[in-house]
Amino acid sequence: MYSLAKLPKGQSASALKTAFRRSVSSKASSAGGVSVIGFENKGPAATSSLTVAIKAGSRFESTPGVAHVLKNFAFKATANGSSLKTVREAELYGGVLSSALSREHIFLTAEFLRGDEEHFLQVLTSVLSSSHFYNHELKELVLPVVQSEAVSAQSSPAALALDVAHNLAFRKGLGNSLYASPHYPVTIDDVKSYAQGAFSKSNVAVIGSGISTESLSQVVGAAFGSGSSQPGSSGLNTSKTSYYGGEARIPLDIHAPPTAQPTLVIAYGSTSPATPELKVLKQLLGGESSLKWTPGTSPLAQAADKVPGGSAKAFLLPYSDAALFGVVVSAPTSPQLTGLAKEVAQIIKSAGSGAKDEEVKRAVAKATFADATASETLEGLIANVGPALFAGGEVKSESFSGVSASSVSKAASELLKAKPTVVAVGNVNVLPYA
Amino acid sequence: MPSITKMIFGNGPLGPSIAPWIRQRPGLQKYWARWSNFYKNAAGYRQKGYLYDDLIVEETPQVQKALQRLSPKERYDRVFRMRRGIQQSMGHKQLPKEQWTTPEQDVRYLTPLIEQVVAEEAERAEWDYMTVEKIQQKRAEKRNIFSKREGHH
Repeated sequence: MYSLAKLPKGQSASALKTAFRRSVSSKASSAGGVSVIGFENKGPAATSSLTVAIKAGSRFESTPGVAHVLKNFAFKATANGSSLKTVREAELYGGVLSSALSREHIFLTAEFLRGDEEHFLQVLTSVLSSSHFYNHELKELVLPVVQSEAVSAQSSPAALALDVAHNLAFRKGLGNSLYASPHYPVTIDDVKSYAQGAFSKSNVAVIGSGISTESLSQVVGAAFGSGSSQPGSSGLNTSKTSYYGGEARIPLDIHAPPTAQPTLVIAYGSTSPATPELKVLKQLLGGESSLKWTPGTSPLAQAADKVPGGSAKAFLLPYSDAALFGVVVSAPTSPQLTGLAKEVAQIIKSAGSGAKDEEVKRAVAKATFADATASETLEGLIANVGPALFAGGEVKSESFSGVSASSVSKAASELLKAKPTVVAVGNVNVLPYA
Repeated sequence: MPSITKMIFGNGPLGPSIAPWIRQRPGLQKYWARWSNFYKNAAGYRQKGYLYDDLIVEETPQVQKALQRLSPKERYDRVFRMRRGIQQSMGHKQLPKEQWTTPEQDVRYLTPLIEQVVAEEAERAEWDYMTVEKIQQKRAEKRNIFSKREGHH
């Protein structure tokens, strides 16, 4: 019989607990070759989280879709036990295990009550060091989930359009699709060799919340030091990003749910990381209202308000060596979308040029708040901190002090020089060409 | 070594077997191997080109799952042996002697997979029917709410 009292608790548990109670600092440090950072929670939060960020997102993949499969292979059978054991023990501890994939990283996250750090760190390290990668698990547990995630992304016009937009904008590397495709089967050997490259120490960083950096690096050093994940440098390569742009027109999936609206993405890429100016430009174009029952004053929101059920939202997707800036436009029908898209195209063309000082000030304030509030959620924190850890370990909030109306309009005109990336999903007979 | 109950009542679809018990006793195994080989040759499946694991009853969920886990080559070969064997049975014939299954060819290709599936099911059952000692402790410690009320009045 299993019981909670019998669950493995090391002898060092009490020493660890005192170590975890020590506090404060959010400077990255290195524990046995793994960069580590911890954030103490404000307030009396009783939960902690550990996230392992692995630099093995879709841009590094050797076989199309292998990153997506590897993400779903997390928490399957390891030398420590079967996937069932991992899950049931996590349930007993009241923890949540999850994995996420972005274009640059795979994140393995464990959220749990304070005091259970040791168990969940051990779960995470065993995933990195001793995953079995059984062929039958791939077929029975992993591929069905991969397939359903890919299908649900296909049936969401916005997700599909953004995925295709990345492919048009960056082609290889960053342009790789986030989702595995039935056209490129992934074998267990592909997953094994990709994991071997991905799980090397220099490729991994650990982010903790509710834990101080010192105590985290102490535990991580112990856990990763004892013959776990492969030493040495990453076996994964990616090419330097360049921006291409282009146009794609995709008919709306006939099996898509009724909530799927025709969607158009107009985007421009740059091959340098996102600047504060671009973040401000995103808020300047806006599209999202900060008040209920009113569209707001931003030009995109004003345009979208004319079409009932329509929306136009600016987005900025930052990467380590590139950024994709643009607008997602959607409307209930394709003719309505055509009208709205033409208006949005005009707004983008004149973006930043006629902005008044007070508008820019407002956008700067919004961008500062958005930047700060992003780190309040676990997903936002991980998305911010993970790349920063790999880039050199300094984690700081963005400074918008140098942003002025002229610098924004300069950044906008620079961005708009490039060839646009336009993806239309809907009735392609009606939707406009770029 | 499996428990006595497993040896008597069988290990899931694999049926009862005292083989593991015998295997632990080298002297006995040496003696028993003769009878084992005699039985296997007398059973007649080798003369029709089957392997021992082809004879396991496959109409159970566990064996069906194990069959799914075979490699494509193993699955193809299994079907080939079945078709060839059925042909021989219908003609009341044996294969020519050079095509008989040799003891070296008679590998247990399916049994380990069935054991894997059975072990997984057993593990799931164990987790499903576990008791959490901490919860039991808490329940035992909990004061009776009615007695507390009596204390107040």
